[in-house]
Amino acid sequence: MQEGRVLPSRQINADLLRSILNSPKWFWISVAFLAFFVLAAFSTAGFLINRGYGVTGLNNQVLWGFFITNFVFWIGISHAGVMLSAILRLSKAEWRRPATRAAEVLTVFSLMTAMLMPLIHTGRPWRTLYWIYTLPFVPYDFARGIWPNVRSPLVWDPSAVYTYLTSSILFVIIALLPDFAVLRDRTTGLSHRIYSVLAMGWQGNARQWKLQIIAGVLLSALILPVFVSVHSIVSWDFGMAVSIKSWHSTIFAPYFVVGAVHSGVSAVVFVMILLRWAYGWQDYIRLEHIDALGRLLVVVATGWFYFFVMEILFGFYGMESDELAVRNMQFMEQPWNILMFFFVGLTYFLPVGLWLTRSWRRNLWLMSIACISVNIGMWLERFLIFVPAQARKQVFTFNWYTYAPSIVEIMIIVGTFAMVTMLMLLLSRVVPLIPLYDIKEGDILKTQVQIGRRTVPATFRED
Amino acid sequence: MTTPKPRIDHKWGMVVDLDRCTGCQACVVACQSENNLPINTKDVFLQRRAYEWIRIERYWEGEFPNVKARFIPIMCQHCENAPCEPVCPVFATYHNDEGLNVQVYNRCIGTRYCANNCPYQVRFFNYWEPVWPERMRHQLNPDVTIRSRGVMERCSFCIQRIRRAELTVERQEQGKLDHKTMKERNFLPACAMACPTNALQFGDQGDASGPVHHYFEEANHRLEERHHRTERVEEHPSRVYRLLEEMGTKPNVIYLKRVEMFPVKKEA
Amino acid sequence: MAAGEHSHEGMWVFPAPEAVTQDMAEKAEAMPKAIARALAVTGILFALGIAGFVMRALDDGFGAHGPWGYYAAIFMFLFMVTGAAPLAAVAFRFTKSHWRRPLSRVSELFALLGVLNVIMFIPLMIVLPSIKNPEVGVEELEIRRSIWFETPIGAPLAWDFLGLLFLAICSLAILWLSAMPDMAEGRLTATGFRRKLYSLLAGRWYGTKRQWILHKVGLGLLGAFYFMLLVFVQFTVASDYAMSLVAGWKDSIFPPLFTLTSFQSSLGLILVTLFIMRRWGGYEQYIGVSPFWSASKILLGLTLLWAYHTFAFLITFWYGRLEIEQNVLKYFFFEAYGGAFAANLFFSFILPFLILLWNPVRKTDWGPTLAGLSALCGAFIFNLKTFVGAFNAGDVYAIFFEFIPGPTWPDLWDVFMVVGGLGAAAFIYLAATRLFPILSVWETKEGAKYQKMDTLVRGRYLVLAKPE
Repeated sequence: MQEGRVLPSRQINADLLRSILNSPKWFWISVAFLAFFVLAAFSTAGFLINRGYGVTGLNNQVLWGFFITNFVFWIGISHAGVMLSAILRLSKAEWRRPATRAAEVLTVFSLMTAMLMPLIHTGRPWRTLYWIYTLPFVPYDFARGIWPNVRSPLVWDPSAVYTYLTSSILFVIIALLPDFAVLRDRTTGLSHRIYSVLAMGWQGNARQWKLQIIAGVLLSALILPVFVSVHSIVSWDFGMAVSIKSWHSTIFAPYFVVGAVHSGVSAVVFVMILLRWAYGWQDYIRLEHIDALGRLLVVVATGWFYFFVMEILFGFYGMESDELAVRNMQFMEQPWNILMFFFVGLTYFLPVGLWLTRSWRRNLWLMSIACISVNIGMWLERFLIFVPAQARKQVFTFNWYTYAPSIVEIMIIVGTFAMVTMLMLLLSRVVPLIPLYDIKEGDILKTQVQIGRRTVPATFRED
Repeated sequence: MTTPKPRIDHKWGMVVDLDRCTGCQACVVACQSENNLPINTKDVFLQRRAYEWIRIERYWEGEFPNVKARFIPIMCQHCENAPCEPVCPVFATYHNDEGLNVQVYNRCIGTRYCANNCPYQVRFFNYWEPVWPERMRHQLNPDVTIRSRGVMERCSFCIQRIRRAELTVERQEQGKLDHKTMKERNFLPACAMACPTNALQFGDQGDASGPVHHYFEEANHRLEERHHRTERVEEHPSRVYRLLEEMGTKPNVIYLKRVEMFPVKKEA
Repeated sequence: MAAGEHSHEGMWVFPAPEAVTQDMAEKAEAMPKAIARALAVTGILFALGIAGFVMRALDDGFGAHGPWGYYAAIFMFLFMVTGAAPLAAVAFRFTKSHWRRPLSRVSELFALLGVLNVIMFIPLMIVLPSIKNPEVGVEELEIRRSIWFETPIGAPLAWDFLGLLFLAICSLAILWLSAMPDMAEGRLTATGFRRKLYSLLAGRWYGTKRQWILHKVGLGLLGAFYFMLLVFVQFTVASDYAMSLVAGWKDSIFPPLFTLTSFQSSLGLILVTLFIMRRWGGYEQYIGVSPFWSASKILLGLTLLWAYHTFAFLITFWYGRLEIEQNVLKYFFFEAYGGAFAANLFFSFILPFLILLWNPVRKTDWGPTLAGLSALCGAFIFNLKTFVGAFNAGDVYAIFFEFIPGPTWPDLWDVFMVVGGLGAAAFIYLAATRLFPILSVWETKEGAKYQKMDTLVRGRYLVLAKPE
């Protein structure tokens, strides 16, 4: 399992802190490039809020469009963090080590970005801020009896997402403490002072390590239910709606969660490949890690495909004309059927085909293609679940219409992608995106077992 | 100090007699002007963002030349189990104790969830700030709020008229508030008033002398019976039905089937 | 091998490899009194079951499906747990879990019950109402809702039957392939007809490198195939015999929930079997606490997933308030079979969850076993409720499930059939343990090589090798 050599700690420090201590030439150029799109998106959002919702492509029939799709997409991406950190930590998979930090950070940023979407999506964002977004932070105006409606999935949503966000941030910080201490010792001036505060007096003594490990394991276990609940609740935004046919499906919760893990882990793999390439971390993000993630992804993808087939099949099962109309739209009518074709191909058949072969899993180009294709596919999946179902002719209306996004929506969507990338890049200037201590720990636990004439890699078990 | 006002426990309901409906759209126009609906210009219509609180749906039955136009007025059904209500995160839409599904514009943040969850497609979103030509400024009804962009709206059974009737009764008749005095003060919604054939009947479901009472009795009785039945029986034929009964929404609007004098001949 | 430093629970201490083989052979050939008695009791139950079946057939015939609800329930229960049981070996072999080794043969031996499943399925094929409505009545559909839509040739019976048959064949192939190295050893040590049987089954196994590689690849491929086939067959059978029989019940999470229940209960069954072997079967030195501990975590995960899927189902139906969904909820969950659902929830989720929550309890052998037993009971009630309910839900061709009948109680023949089914399964499994070594000897020996105790800094730790 563990190939690669065991590096001295000094070199691990030097390599992994490279992204922080020296800044490559391309860094600020790419940040500026991304910042342009982010700014453009924010200005567009301002324009949208100023002019009203008329500037989007939505209409009386299709009331939820690109923003909701994008919201669900980014919430989905955020499921990578816990999947990789918590589950693999609890199951003691050794190959998780270089992937955890990047996954957790991606979780935090994608959650933040995701929550911008429903804010922009609502008709009066300034009131939404008050009603929904203050929920975890500011007590409600209980004195005047102003309550949110807890029966609404839209109130469950922010509750779950913010719980997840808070616990993910805690998770990241706890894992960062030892690394902050390393940085504190290697910086001077203002940054030294900031890192001192962030390291919270980390000395690296046995008691601190013990507490840190306990906190990590406890948070992993506690965060798991939150992790499952987040995307389930997001799916129930749709699953609870009886009037849009094909949304009211019991399978939505697990289907969305598995889909989220699928897209999230793929995104993490892609981020890892980028990091490996950008900072030259070949010794840390090794092919065997990508390989193991690829194998995990085959399983996740197949599980996802099972749920997908169930969802489609039981869509037809009822033989109800209004539900069949949605399916007819998805599978038979342009442009949905073309999108459907690409969606299924890009989400399952292309990537799994690439992941089945060991040498292809270890080819970074093919791996990148597969991971990007999964994410395009998963974006399309959400789009195809949400929009055709709304756009079909409803029972009691002659006034149905399809949906085409306006430039405003497209600008904002592009901006979210730029924003997550930019935030990841900026953070790589501040904290190491591969956990130093985790790599070192993994190296310490590595050993070998002699069986007959063969030397087999082995690991120490701590329990 | 105000003494507690005398009140009737109203439960409003509407009966739409499709046999009388001619599809003349008078109700649509009446509603438009009563409730300060923005003008559905060509632009807005082409954006598919035009709306009417009450609309006449038109269907064709049969094949040319043996063809018939069918129409059915559809407004908010004021469901007892309204699917739109539980999904609103801010209680902007809720059920009041008079059987009305009410919309609080000030609370609405425009998630548009309620519209997605309405099986009757009667909830509309204000995509644009409503504007009227200058010369129509005095046409606006002062009793009705003008909804800003970004909120949902839909038929309210002209709640302003009901309230005005109640207030007038209280003021003029020293609180002798009963079904009779209410009726004299005219609480009818604009559509019902405008209907030339009296196809739209509005009233209190509990008022035995009112126009809708016995229809609701019958409909509720049938629903109740059906729930306690253990096998299928031949039901007594009746004109009374509700839209999408199987959704379990229990609308407070009842439709009466059209009696077909000359039914469309079905192809053999 | 007997290193003597038994300082870690995950570490096994074995006698010499030859002694293991010898011991296994002796255990398989011996016929202790307890087992003889158990065989007799289960045999009688088996006979009772057949009697109950015959009486039911004489009383009600095969015309209507209603009276066969309990038969369907017991068939589904057996199919659910024994069908998924071999998966434990397959799945944990796939993840290279070290602790699985004592558990894999126990789980694979359940493959033999696949034959019972196929045989028990035949009467069910006769009673299933046809998909096309023979005479369309008032408010009835011409074709009832099913996963077969326009009914391809032979649907649904031929497909279900073929699925079960292939499943049985595939699981037997897994058992055969996995037991081959052991039987090759057994043909040297065993005596009598077992020797002949082993040498026949072991074929040309000599343990060459090439054979081992083929063995590994074969097990992997068969396992993957078995997994997919199982999920598919569970989907078809469960929806044909439950959802399609309740008019208008459309519930996409039901097949996954069925599959999940089967995973949970089959792991429970395996733990119970392991516990019996460890406590009373004389396998204590081979089966440590480690498999219980590790399996308990998986069981906890499956238990939580079960609750999650059930909740996802309940909340969607409950929130939607559609009449058909409310009726399904009333019938299966709150009114007619409300008690059964409460018991199901208690045994499938609450009890195992409360037991498995505690790490000290998980680290014992009885804790996970108790949870497993509870999951098994839960699955049993799940099947009773679902299939008895579905078989008695009224007109299958109706447009939707409108009239809620009361619960159907078993009569004497139903009780006979249910205990008979359980007895038959136990009988076959017990008999099988007399034929085949119930411990996967090659895997155990392999595992012993991959483990060692080593010093890290100041502590002694278990080291596990993971060959690629």
